[in-house]
Amino acid sequence: MIKFLIKGLLRDRSRSLLPLIVVAIGVMLAVFMRGYINGIMVDMIEQTARFNTGHVKVMTKAYAENIDQIPNDLAIMGASELQAGLEEAFPDIKWVSRIKFGGLIDVPDDNGETRSQGPSLGIGLDLFSGSSGEIERLNLSRSLVRGTIPDTAGEILLSEEFSEKLKVSPGEEVTLIGSTMNGSMAIYNFIVSGTVRFGNTSLDRGSVIADISDVQKALDMYDSAGEILGFFPGGYYSDEKADPVMAEFNEDFVTENDEFSPVMLRLRDQEGLGLFVNLAGSMGAIVTFVFMVAMSLVLWNAGLLGGLRRYGEIGIRLAIGEEKGHVYRSMITESLMIGMAGTIIGTAFGLSLSWLLQTYGLDISEFTKNATTGIMMPNIVRARITPPDFYIGFIPGVISTVAGTMLSGIGIYKRKTSQLFKELEA
Amino acid sequence: MKTFASIILFALATAATAQPSADEIIDRVDRNMSSENRIFESTMTIQGKRGTRVITSKSYTAGDKKSFTEYLSPPREQGIKMLKLEDQLWIYSPSTDRTIQISGHMLRQSVMGSDLSYEDMMEDRKLTDLYSARVTGRETIDGRETWVLELNARVEDIAYSKRKIWIDTERYVPLKEELYARSGQLLKRSTMSDVIRVDGRWFPTTVVYKDMLKQGDGTEFKVTAIKFNQAIPDYIFSKAALKQ
Amino acid sequence: MKLAIKLAFKNLIGAGLRTWLNVIVLSFSFVMIIAAKGILVGWDRQAKKDMADWEIAGGQYWNANYDPYDAFTLTEAHSVIPGQFKDEIERGDMVPVLITQGTIYPEGRMQSILIKGIDPGQSLLELPTGRLDTAAGALPAIIGSNMARANRLSKGDYVTIRWRDANGTFDAAEILITDIFTTNVPTVDVGQVWIALDSLQSMVLMPGEATILTFRDQENREAGVGDWKLMTYKSLVSEVDEMIKTKSVGQSIFYIILLILALLAIFDTQVLSIFRRQKEIGTYVALGYTRKEVVLLFTVEGAMHAVLAAVTGAIYGIPLLVWLANKGISLGMSSAEFGFTMADTMYPVYSGSLIIGTTLLVMIATTIVSYWPSRRIAKMNPTEALRGKLQ
Repeated sequence: MIKFLIKGLLRDRSRSLLPLIVVAIGVMLAVFMRGYINGIMVDMIEQTARFNTGHVKVMTKAYAENIDQIPNDLAIMGASELQAGLEEAFPDIKWVSRIKFGGLIDVPDDNGETRSQGPSLGIGLDLFSGSSGEIERLNLSRSLVRGTIPDTAGEILLSEEFSEKLKVSPGEEVTLIGSTMNGSMAIYNFIVSGTVRFGNTSLDRGSVIADISDVQKALDMYDSAGEILGFFPGGYYSDEKADPVMAEFNEDFVTENDEFSPVMLRLRDQEGLGLFVNLAGSMGAIVTFVFMVAMSLVLWNAGLLGGLRRYGEIGIRLAIGEEKGHVYRSMITESLMIGMAGTIIGTAFGLSLSWLLQTYGLDISEFTKNATTGIMMPNIVRARITPPDFYIGFIPGVISTVAGTMLSGIGIYKRKTSQLFKELEA
Repeated sequence: MKTFASIILFALATAATAQPSADEIIDRVDRNMSSENRIFESTMTIQGKRGTRVITSKSYTAGDKKSFTEYLSPPREQGIKMLKLEDQLWIYSPSTDRTIQISGHMLRQSVMGSDLSYEDMMEDRKLTDLYSARVTGRETIDGRETWVLELNARVEDIAYSKRKIWIDTERYVPLKEELYARSGQLLKRSTMSDVIRVDGRWFPTTVVYKDMLKQGDGTEFKVTAIKFNQAIPDYIFSKAALKQ
Repeated sequence: MKLAIKLAFKNLIGAGLRTWLNVIVLSFSFVMIIAAKGILVGWDRQAKKDMADWEIAGGQYWNANYDPYDAFTLTEAHSVIPGQFKDEIERGDMVPVLITQGTIYPEGRMQSILIKGIDPGQSLLELPTGRLDTAAGALPAIIGSNMARANRLSKGDYVTIRWRDANGTFDAAEILITDIFTTNVPTVDVGQVWIALDSLQSMVLMPGEATILTFRDQENREAGVGDWKLMTYKSLVSEVDEMIKTKSVGQSIFYIILLILALLAIFDTQVLSIFRRQKEIGTYVALGYTRKEVVLLFTVEGAMHAVLAAVTGAIYGIPLLVWLANKGISLGMSSAEFGFTMADTMYPVYSGSLIIGTTLLVMIATTIVSYWPSRRIAKMNPTEALRGKLQ
C-alpha cells in the first residue's frame, strides 16, 4: 500500500511537488526564523559576554568587589596555572586571560620628548597564540581602520579617534605610562600596528588593545591576569551550562576567607544581565510561538488546498468503486509522507541557512547608513541553532499538513456517487 | 580681633619660655635642615594590599630648586631617574629610553604607589613665603618637647591651605606635620623620627607619610646615608644626565 | 469595479475556512509589524524623553572646553554665565550646572568622581534637587542608584569627598546623602555626586560660573554665545538614534519573513483558485468580461485577504496593542550597564503613519502576490476554460 502511494506521489508531480515545496518552504522559514530570533535575542547579551563578562568570569574575590576601579593590584597571580587548571577541569570551555588597565598614551617627538598625550583605557588580550579566538571574538579584523592587528611583541592597537587626536599613525612609537600591579610607575614603548573602531563614543575616545604578554611586561604583571573569561562551546550562554561549572569550580578552586581566592561569576551575575537573560528567553519563546501558530495555519491551509486540488481524481476513484474510507486513509497517509518529507527537507534547509548565518553572520552595516562597524557594534546579525530547531518544524510540517488534509477529506464522505459522473463530464 | 588674640597668645607664650617667634622657629629649622647641597640614599617602604615593597634610591639636591634621583632597586625600578628643575619634573625610564615630562594632572598621581604625589614632592617654595605661621602651643612627642606651629596660607596657588608642624624645641627638627584642606579636614600626616646628628645638624631619618582619607598604613621613607655640602657636578642637574 | 469587489468578497467568504486561515496569518503580520515597530518607536521616544527630563531638556550650551568624555578638561571648562541668560535662569527656563573633578572616599577606598553643582530650586530637570536644600551638619548631596550601589552608599550616609579649588588648593568635606534617585539616564548617575550650585561655586572659588547651561526652549538659539557653544537637542540624542536604527534593521528581517510566510499561503490559494475555477473564468469571459477584467477580479479577490486581515487584526490587535502600550514591556534591567539611556519598561507607541504605512505595505504585497498567478488567466483560451479543460 505504502509502496503504491509512494509511486503515485513520485509519478504525479501535481500531487506531490507543490505541496512538498510549500511544506518545505514553510518549515524552512519556521526553523530559520527560530534560529534568527534566538540569535538576535541573545546578541546583546553575547556582545557583553565577548567584550566584558565572558559566559563565566574568574577573578580574585577582592578584584570582583572593586571591579569598577580596575584594581590590577588585586589581579590573579599565577594566572597561567589557574588557566591550565580551568582548562583541565572544564576542557569544553574556552578560557582566555585578559587584563584591563588605564594609563596615559604619550607620543614622543624626534628628541624623545612628549609631543602629545592622552588618557586611555586598555585591554590586554591573547592575540599572539592563535588559539585564543580573541581576534574573532572581538571582531577585530573587521573593526580595523588602518594598519594591522598586532602580531609581534611590542605592538598596540589604538582606537582610530584616539590616534587622530594624538596625531599618530601605524608604525610610529607610543609610550604607555601607567601603573604597575604594585602601584609603581610603568613606562613601556609600543609600536602602533593599527587603529580600530569600537562604535561606542567613550571607548573610541581613548582605548588601546595589546597582547596580554606585552601588557604583563608593561605593568609588571608577570603571570598575572585581571580576569580569566570562559566561553562555552557553541558560543552561547545558558544557566544550564553555567551552573554545574560554577558548582564544580566552587568546590575545587575556591578557598574560603581568602581575599585573593579566585571566584567565578556567571554572565547572569554580572552587570545586571540576569534579568536580560530571562527576558531574551521569554521574548524568544513568544516570538517562536506566534511564528509556529502562523506556520501551522499556513500549512493547514496548504493541506486543505492539497485535498481540493485532487477533487477530480478522488471523484474518479470513488466512481470506479474505491471505498470512501480507503480513499480517505490513503490521502492521509500521503499527506503524512509529504509532511514528513517536506519537514525533513525544510528543516535541513532551514538549519543550513541558520548555520550559515550563525557561522558567517550577515553584515547589516549596509542598511544602517550612519552606524559603522566596530568592536562594540559588530553590525552582524547572527542566528543561533538550538536543539529544538531540529524537531520544532514537525509540528507545523506534519501535524498541520495532515490536519488540513483530514479536514478537506471530510468532503469525500459528503460526495454522492450519483453526482460523480456529472462532475466528471465537465 | 584675630590680631588681638594672637598678640595675647604671643605675649603669654613669650612670658612662659621666652620662646622665639614662629617665623624665627621656621628659620632655625631651615638653617638646620637645608644646606648648599646634599646627597642621600634612602629606602621607601610602601604598604600594598599584597605585602610591602621596598624601593631604594640615591638623591642629589642643590638648594631647593634642583634635585636628581636615581632608583637603585628593585630591579624593575633600577635605573629610573627623576629630575626636578624649578617647577618642572622629568622622568627617564631606561627600558624605553624615554624622557617624559610629568605635568598637569599627572603631577597628582602617586609616586611609585606611595601615599606621596609628585606634586607633594615638587613644592619647593619657602614655607615662610607661603604661610603665615604662629605658635599655638607646646606638646610632647615621644618624650621630646615640641612647639606646635600653625601655618595658614597667605598665597592662593597652594595645595594645602593649612599646615600644622610640631618642631623639637631643642633640635629644631620637625617631628610631625599635618596638612589640612580649606574646610579644616585633615588630609595628610607625616611623622618624623630617628633623629640623628650629621655634620653638626639634626636630621630626622625616618618619615612616615599617610593619606588620612585612604585606608592603609602609609609610606615609610628612611634615609640610610646622608652627606651635606658635597661637590656635585652641575651636569647632574641637566636633562642630558637622565640618559646616562 | 464595485461589482468586482462585491464578487470577490462573496467568493472569499464562500471559501470559508481556507480564507480565514490565510486572513489570520496575514493579520499576524499586521499586528506583529505594528507591535514590533511600535516598541522601537516607544523605546526611542522614551529614551529621548528620559534624557530630556533628566539631563538635556530642550538643549544645552556647553563651555567651549567641555568634553564629557575627558574629565581632565574640566579644570578649564567653566566660565561666567553670560548676562543675557540672567532672566531666563531666574524664570527657571535655564539651569546652569558646574562640574568639577573630585574624589570620594567611601570606607577609605578612593574613587574618582564628578561633583556637579545645580540650583536646588530648579524644576527643569527631574533630579530631586529639592533635597539639596536640607539643612544639615554636612553638605547635602544627592546621588543616583547606580552610584549608590557601586559605592555601597545609602540615604543618610556621610562620606568624605575631596576636590581642588580654582587655585589647586585641596579641600575636603563630608557630604550627607539626602536622596538617592533612580533614573534611566546613566550620565546623571554613574560616578557623580550632585550638590547645590552655590555651594560648589564657593567651594571651588568659581562664583557665578558654570560648565553647562541646560535650557527648556530651543527656539532662536545662537550657535555660540561668548565661549559657550550650542548643543542642540538633536545632536545630544544622536546616539539613541543610531542604536534604534541598528535595532530596526535586525527587527525588520523578522517581520519580513513572517510576511513572506503569509504571502506564500495567499499565493498557494490563488494558484489553486485559478486552477480550480477555470469554468468560472470561462463563464466570465463568455459573459463579456475582458480578460483584463477577469484578472482584476481575481487580483481583487486575493488582495481582499489583506482587507479582511486588517479588519481581523484590528479586532484582536487593537485591544492587545492598547494593553501593551498601557502596561509596557518590562525589561527589568539597569541602563547603567549599557552606557546609554534605556528605559526598564518600554511603552510601545503607534503612530498614524506606522499603521497606515503597515497597511499599505501589506496591501501592496498581497496585491502583487495575488496578481502574479492571475496573469495566467490572460493566456487562457476561453472556450477551453469554459469546458474546464486543464491548460
